[in-house]
Amino acid sequence: MNRQEGNLVEIHSGDLMPLPDISDAAMQEPSLKGLTEEQKRQYESSLDGFVAIGIPRPKDRQEEDAIVRRFLAGLEKLLDKENNWTFLQPLVHSLEYCVKCQLCSDSCPVFVTSGRKEIYRPTFRPELLRRIINKYIKKQNPLLVKVTRSDIDLNFKVVARLAELAYRCTLCRRCAQVCPIGVDNALVSREIRKLFSQELGIAPREIHELGTVQQLKVGSTTGITPPALKDLLNFIEEEIKEKTGKEIKIPLDKKGADVLLLHNAGEFLSWPENIEAFAILFEAANIRWTLSSELAGYDAVNYGVWYDDVQMARIAVKHAQVAKELQVKKISVGECGHAHKAFIVVADRVLTGDLNIPRESAFPLLEHFVLSGKLRLDPGRNNFPVTLHDPCNVVRLMGIVEPQRRILRKICPQFVEMEPHGVDNYCCGGGSGFAVMSSRNFPDWRIHISGRMKLKQILEAFSGKLIPEIKKYVCAPCSNCKGQIRDIINAYGLSEKYGIRYGGLVELVVNAMPDIKKPFIEWESP
Amino acid sequence: MQILLPIATYFGYIFIIVMYSAKLVKYLNLPMHLRSEVYPVIPGDQTSREKSYYENLDWWTKPRRRNNLRRIWFLISDYFALREYFRRDPGYWVVLYPWHIGFITIITFHILSFFGALFSVLGIPVTSESSSVVGTVMYYLCLWTGAISFTAGVFGSVGVFVKRLATKDLRDYATPQMYFTYLFLLAVFLSGLYAWCFVDPTFSEYRDFWKGLITLKPINVKPASALHILLFDLLLIYLPFTRSLHYITRLFGFLLIRWDDEPNLRGSHTEQKINEMLNWKLSWGGPHIKHGSTWKEEVATESTRHETV
Repeated sequence: MNRQEGNLVEIHSGDLMPLPDISDAAMQEPSLKGLTEEQKRQYESSLDGFVAIGIPRPKDRQEEDAIVRRFLAGLEKLLDKENNWTFLQPLVHSLEYCVKCQLCSDSCPVFVTSGRKEIYRPTFRPELLRRIINKYIKKQNPLLVKVTRSDIDLNFKVVARLAELAYRCTLCRRCAQVCPIGVDNALVSREIRKLFSQELGIAPREIHELGTVQQLKVGSTTGITPPALKDLLNFIEEEIKEKTGKEIKIPLDKKGADVLLLHNAGEFLSWPENIEAFAILFEAANIRWTLSSELAGYDAVNYGVWYDDVQMARIAVKHAQVAKELQVKKISVGECGHAHKAFIVVADRVLTGDLNIPRESAFPLLEHFVLSGKLRLDPGRNNFPVTLHDPCNVVRLMGIVEPQRRILRKICPQFVEMEPHGVDNYCCGGGSGFAVMSSRNFPDWRIHISGRMKLKQILEAFSGKLIPEIKKYVCAPCSNCKGQIRDIINAYGLSEKYGIRYGGLVELVVNAMPDIKKPFIEWESP
Repeated sequence: MQILLPIATYFGYIFIIVMYSAKLVKYLNLPMHLRSEVYPVIPGDQTSREKSYYENLDWWTKPRRRNNLRRIWFLISDYFALREYFRRDPGYWVVLYPWHIGFITIITFHILSFFGALFSVLGIPVTSESSSVVGTVMYYLCLWTGAISFTAGVFGSVGVFVKRLATKDLRDYATPQMYFTYLFLLAVFLSGLYAWCFVDPTFSEYRDFWKGLITLKPINVKPASALHILLFDLLLIYLPFTRSLHYITRLFGFLLIRWDDEPNLRGSHTEQKINEMLNWKLSWGGPHIKHGSTWKEEVATESTRHETV
């Protein structure tokens, strides 16, 4: 990490994990985009030539040293119980007891697909942090520093590279899943991100200023304001009428409703069909539900879960307050993976008293609709190959594996699993905020490296059917996963070449409703 | 030597118990954390794994299934299986497994030897043809654990040393301390193996040594036995400065962190603790955090401040 000249690693297309050999040879590997000269001058990019955060180069040595001092101050706070009670025990466990057996390495898709670049190994980041702690925080004596190989020179370059490196892990936690000691190297990546955000205010603009800050100020990370939401809902109601002939009024701010649906506001803009489908289903199942137009109440996202505990807690409390004001009986989190994890699991120990309102995933509710016989469904309307992408936050991080599968087995006669799937799934490559990080050349990294394993899985799941005439559907019940899969499909031309499209789970359910004459799923390129 | 060995032995055992206890207390006193569980519970078990209660509609109204005994059994039995290593890196498992078995059995052997000596003091002969079944059983337990530990330990110590040196992925992350630990353990196992083979084939001399410690009438032992005893005592003093506590913290890593899916319920002890911690102060320097305010102040709004205890 101390190397001063050049990038620490160079990424070339030829190094990357090979993709399945598709006999019609239609798969062309797009080249990896480099930074412009101006970008290289402006931002620290010497980790691997990509930029996730965009840390400006300091003007002088004084500024560099100030950053290093603040980094060390933040590191002390990361190891302090009052400042970091939230994840101190898991962090200490991972830092103190990793035996560096590298059993986790092959479980990491980024490490494998990059061609096994050392900096992406799950143990690399924590080991670096460990050595910094040994030398600069524990201040071990020089002999101990030598025998633990902690003799690292901390300077701006090392600090900046570490910050960027924290954003080369999707926090999928496959590494944690295989560790026999209970170490969680993904958690360490997330703690490093937290240090930079909570102490130095350094985080990717898309997840901080345009993410959590915007959500708390304006109402949504998309910038949708409450008045704009009402316009969007009108549009969605018109769409429902046009597609289905049904006049459905989407309930808004209904006090005393049974269910507050908390969904990713990105869906309203990019995939309104998903909200439409929820509205159609809830109407058909006679559910007393509501959306909220309160600040943050219509946007389930909580980007804080990726990088900042204070922001995470603020948003979770806001969400709970909205539900409390509406006096709903429960909150159902829609098709948004990280919102599941953030609001139902991580924030569980932040919400106390009457902010602790029952929260659940929408998947068991959907399963109940589909399997109970409440809805008339015709699987013949979904008679095309369907595979399921499992969002990490729902399967491995929450254990919700079967409800969505039971639905698909019932309504999709050509449902086929990706391998591996369920709790052993691979991340789409857009996890931990990557799907919304689209500046500079970072999208190339997340499409071609972190997303590569998912591309491989999709091609393999549909093997033998990879012709454009057979329309195929990747069911991805998570907004950010959909965004990433959309970008993968576009980058590799999968829609035109192989007839692959993506969408959520709820659209498939509505597509199977025989009383809706027109197919709900449209097959043009998204 | 007649005095040095008993002192080293008393000191070694007391030191490791005190140090391990202190470290464990420090670890367990770390504050309650936010949940970060990972599925599946019971790694690798895809057939009968515990299902997440989140798969149930209105999960809070239904009983949550949890089989604590099964979880603990899995963790304990994994000490004797190292399942994930076998599954994912059998080449490493081949040397790691005997090394770990050697480590577990050498601890067991020394503890059993202490109890064997105690039985002798209490009048129960510990021999192969003891008048007491308990004595005979104890004799063979000592013999087998000793034999297994030294044999497996020597093989494993050499194996992990070579494996770590020869495999780039492992070598790049190895430290001088790690190699020292492998060699130190090799010396301990080798000295034990030598003593067993050439000096004390029934371990009766070692039990007599312990008898001397218990009755405060220390005896002289042969040099080979003395060497092993001394090296083992030094190991006990050295171990707290390594990562060896992972043998125990691993249990907590799973039970308290990785498998901790206990929900926060209103009025619970968990909620009480959370409310205490929400009163702790933040000193982060980030521009979006007010230095010196409490978590509650930073996160909660006016209405929430009144609700929390």
